[in-house]
Amino acid sequence: MRVTNSIADMQYDMQQSQQDLSVALEQVSTSKRVNQLSDDPSASANMVRSLAASTNVDSYTRNVDSVLAKLQTADSALSSVVTSLNQAVTLGTSGANSTMTDANREALAMQVQGILANVVAQANTSYQGSYMFAGSDTSTMPFTSDAASIGGYVYNGNSTVNQVQVGDSISVATNVPGDQIFNSGANVIGSLANLISVLQSGTLTDIGTATIAVSTALNYVSQQRVPLGNSIAQLNSQESYLNQETVTLSTQQTSLVGIDLATAATNLSQAETTNNAVLAAAAKVLPQTLLDYLQ
Amino acid sequence: MSLNASLNIAVQSLLADTGALQATNNNIANANTVGYSRQTVTPQEAAPYTDGQGNGVVLEGYQSIRSEILQRQIEQQTQEQSSADAQQANLQQIQTVFTTSTEDIGTQMSALFSSISNLSTDPTNSSLRQSVLTSGENLVAAFHTASNALATQQAGLNTQVTQDVSDINSLARQIAALNPQLTALKQSGQDGGTLQDQQDQLLLSLSKLTNISVTQTENGETLTTGNGTALVVGGESFALQTTTNSDGVQQVTDPAGTNITSAISGGDLGGTLQVCHQTIPELLTSLDTLANQFGTAMNAAQAEGYDQNGAMGGNLFTLPAGVAGSAADINMATTDVSTIAASSDGSSGSNGNLANLTAVQTTKLATGATPTDTYANMVYQVGSLTANATAESTATAASLVQLNDQRNSLSGVSIDEESTNLIRYQQAYEAAARVVTTISNLFDVTMSMGTNAAS
Repeated sequence: MRVTNSIADMQYDMQQSQQDLSVALEQVSTSKRVNQLSDDPSASANMVRSLAASTNVDSYTRNVDSVLAKLQTADSALSSVVTSLNQAVTLGTSGANSTMTDANREALAMQVQGILANVVAQANTSYQGSYMFAGSDTSTMPFTSDAASIGGYVYNGNSTVNQVQVGDSISVATNVPGDQIFNSGANVIGSLANLISVLQSGTLTDIGTATIAVSTALNYVSQQRVPLGNSIAQLNSQESYLNQETVTLSTQQTSLVGIDLATAATNLSQAETTNNAVLAAAAKVLPQTLLDYLQ
Repeated sequence: MSLNASLNIAVQSLLADTGALQATNNNIANANTVGYSRQTVTPQEAAPYTDGQGNGVVLEGYQSIRSEILQRQIEQQTQEQSSADAQQANLQQIQTVFTTSTEDIGTQMSALFSSISNLSTDPTNSSLRQSVLTSGENLVAAFHTASNALATQQAGLNTQVTQDVSDINSLARQIAALNPQLTALKQSGQDGGTLQDQQDQLLLSLSKLTNISVTQTENGETLTTGNGTALVVGGESFALQTTTNSDGVQQVTDPAGTNITSAISGGDLGGTLQVCHQTIPELLTSLDTLANQFGTAMNAAQAEGYDQNGAMGGNLFTLPAGVAGSAADINMATTDVSTIAASSDGSSGSNGNLANLTAVQTTKLATGATPTDTYANMVYQVGSLTANATAESTATAASLVQLNDQRNSLSGVSIDEESTNLIRYQQAYEAAARVVTTISNLFDVTMSMGTNAAS
């Protein structure tokens, strides 16, 4: 082949090695292998999906935190109701004792009256301005006094249960409607009101029966707390799962578009060596002509 | 043979060597001239005397060393490279619209679903509701930004098309002007030389702009565009024109008014038209489809529930009547936080319908993919188009280097070679000059024959 003084080749080689060098430099300085979509189109597309998944996990985590606080408030309200009902059962049992005078029973009735007021107050618990036991009618006080209703209180809420998503396929109930806890099944408010009235004017047998009814209501409320406790436990475990998922996704994102520093540094030093070699070769070859020797 | 005849041979020799020195000089002078083809001299023996005795040297002329086939291959490859370069440069800009970083459509879509999901924990909370509307506004803004960026890019390319076509026409005129001169040279049996170099350079410049095919005729080089429309025939050139089509995009027509846009595939014009007529409209359609189907799906989910006042859910997004222009014209239909239809039973505290809204994220749109996947597919599309254009540009650049190597090997000037020739022709000239001196001495001897001085 006839070799001429063409320097295009040399320029092309220098350009190529300069480009490799600048890519290597960019990877080191950004710690990223994919700096624009065209660097790896399929990794970029997967990055879109992974980032969307990350955003979802973040939002599930926020949901878990806020639902957890809400359910804990509900649980502590129900725990207070259980304590109150236990007291009522004790009072009823002592009221059924034949040694009690009417005046004593009247005093017991007054105490049960106080317990009823406390239970109603718990049933009207609000969390961040929303009533907890009103179903989805969270702006209306769920239990208000109403002479026409059994037990003297009427339920103004509904029986809607709100679900909140805390995982791609996991939702938890964030409320227990008040009618389900306090009115249906064993009627908590009704049984307390009944105990008050029999303590004031009933027979010993009536008081005994009424006390048993309160005790049944107590068991019922305790049962209602179980799913609540389960939800809380589920949320706690979901939270640690989500934390782990955050780490997994961020690892995934790093491996999609990132580059580890050791590789990047090695690439850079390789590119530098090549570039130096090309430049050194060019410096040797370019000035050579026959004229140098024809003196 | 007479002394005069010998003197004639010496003079021919001096002339031939001077000619050769001139060629060498010219080669050295143009060693770095782009597109120069080295010239050689072709000395020939002069017609002999009847007795067969040699009669000196004759310089037939100069010959440029070039290969037409190689030249055509370089033009071909240049057309492909310029097209790939134009596409790459434009796609590089487009792909920044679809980054995976912060403000893009994908991120904003996720943020909207995230804020809706958060609202489900406390559906009456007005700051959570506001955050849904704000995320919606951000998403709408992201659609607008992407759509505007593509439209702006397209408008810029329209100018490029007009500019390219005007350059093509100017080059075609110059090429046509050279044709008669070259034809005249060739008909007189001479080499095209410098004029041919000029025309080849013009063809190369034209190849950077568009795809052409070159045919040699007795009237010079005939150029035709991609679909066979004549651009240059003999000394005549035919101007291409640009017109604006119904979508506001520039298209190219031949002198007869026929639309030849689709036949232009090479050169800067080819690459530009590809981006302008194919890539950008396709991406805009994808964007519009996504915006339209996403907005429609969200509105449908809204309609299934009740807002904070217990009314049926109204539209969350306003969309144009058709799919076209959806990305540019999608807007939030409301700024009132109470209009978000969170409730499934009409009570303000219900969050039942938010699940329908968040379900849009995981439900396939009419595109056959979820909103996120649809966007991810667009990201892939843009990325791979850019990567392909880059790869093609790199590949054609490498093959152009090869072809130029071959051309330089054949037509390029070697300083070493010319230096050697310089010495060779100088020595030949010196020798011929010596012959003249010798013959001159012989004349002197002949003149003084028979005189005392001769003895």
